[in-house]
Amino acid sequence: MTFLSNLINGISLGSVYAIIALGYTMVYGIAKMLNFAHGDVIMVGAYISFCATTYLNLPPVVSVVLAMIVCTVLGVLIEGLAYKPLRKATSLAVLITAIGVSYFLQNVALLIWGSNPKTFSSIIRLGSVSLFDNKLIITTESIVTVLACIVIMIALTMFTKKSKMGKAMRAVSEDKDAAELMGINVNVTISVTFAIGSALAAIAGVLLCSAYPVLQPTTGSMPGIKAFTAAVFGGIGSIPGAMLGGILLGIIEIFSKSYISTQLADAIVFAVLIIVLLVKPTGILGKKITEKV
Amino acid sequence: MAEILNIENINVYYGQIHALKDVSLKVNEGEIVALIGANGAGKTTTLRTISGLLRSKTGSIKLMGNDISHTEAHKLVSMGVAHVPEGRHVFLQMTVQENLEMGAYTNSANLKEGIADVYERFPRLKHRMNQIAGTLSGGEQQMLAMGRALMSKPKLMMLDEPSMGLAPILVQQIFDIVKELNKAGTTILLVEQNAEMALEIADRAYVLETGKIKLSGTGKELAQSDEIKKAYLGG
Repeated sequence: MTFLSNLINGISLGSVYAIIALGYTMVYGIAKMLNFAHGDVIMVGAYISFCATTYLNLPPVVSVVLAMIVCTVLGVLIEGLAYKPLRKATSLAVLITAIGVSYFLQNVALLIWGSNPKTFSSIIRLGSVSLFDNKLIITTESIVTVLACIVIMIALTMFTKKSKMGKAMRAVSEDKDAAELMGINVNVTISVTFAIGSALAAIAGVLLCSAYPVLQPTTGSMPGIKAFTAAVFGGIGSIPGAMLGGILLGIIEIFSKSYISTQLADAIVFAVLIIVLLVKPTGILGKKITEKV
Repeated sequence: MAEILNIENINVYYGQIHALKDVSLKVNEGEIVALIGANGAGKTTTLRTISGLLRSKTGSIKLMGNDISHTEAHKLVSMGVAHVPEGRHVFLQMTVQENLEMGAYTNSANLKEGIADVYERFPRLKHRMNQIAGTLSGGEQQMLAMGRALMSKPKLMMLDEPSMGLAPILVQQIFDIVKELNKAGTTILLVEQNAEMALEIADRAYVLETGKIKLSGTGKELAQSDEIKKAYLGG
């Protein structure tokens, strides 16, 4: 039963990583940049939800919507102010800027909310499901997280496959100049991608803090880096890859924690990344571009 | 004849490199105008500047009387310009059908009809409509790139080296299609290294040499000029 319980916890944690990884992977696919501030958008989302429920006494669902709105605006602002001017700059300049934005957000959060950790009360207050004579307890947080992850995955896949904007996003991610020549406004497409990624980050933030209720300005950075690992693991640029990578990573982390060592769990997670990069640099589902001339 | 495109004295730089020097050219409605020249003469640069992917420091580019020298590239499609870039640049990971849909991005009203037209003109594409464009042959990709450009119902179609890397029989086919499109009412600005074939179908042509317009005239005149024969037609 511990095995099953660990597996469920792993899938649940992995689902959060997956939702964050989707943001990384979509932005990477379109803007060809690693948005290292993405993890901190999660933190902002969690704080917004926290403030909305604690100080304004808003219902949890409303707080999530509010967090999504704030994060969407934040994501679009970050893109427009920090990354857009660097569209033609080297990728190193963009990367350094992203790290700068990450520290900026953490420090602004420190100024606003202070360094004392806040106790995030779960937005899902439904108790838990007990199975097999209470031997297996599944929290509703886990169930909601996994369901949210599945719904988001399906919605995003449909969006990129079927909608006009989604197809335009794929066109931009493949060939910006050609997309521009089709009449696609590349800048708008990139902004929309940041908006979607940031809205997902808000959801991830709330789910993460519902399961692990310590909220402080650095809350987003570690899950952010792990989700980035998950995105690379699954194949960066690929939506199913981000999902698979995220969930596998969550399972590996929880299993390492319970069967090997709590201290070593993170090291093991990153060791897996290194091994994957050595064996299959494009990640599990990474696309090998077939080109015929 | 109404003027579709009128370029006056454009100068384009890549950093320190002066790529286009005082280039002026004109395309009238219904014409096929060829822009020929050696590798690196500035032909592609000219098209990319018209499209707004590059900017000229001087002069003006007028499309049907409107100055477009500062218009963003993505706005030109709905103004009636379609650009088939060098190397085709179809979306390799999207299906043939999706590529055509992208061509109609600004003209969704024409989606169904446009796709039917393209498939009629290029039956080979219809057979491969659900295939990923990356699996098409070079000739098919060129057809797809042209079909995709047609989806916006352009008044002016700019083709950059449509014959590049294709077998002679396909080159002939592509040029035949260009002629047909022109007959159907599309004005064509054609960039080609294959000067012989370009001059054969062109009403008028310009010769670019190291960023400058060296010669211009009707296709026939240029095809018979000694200078052209020597430099571009192998005799």
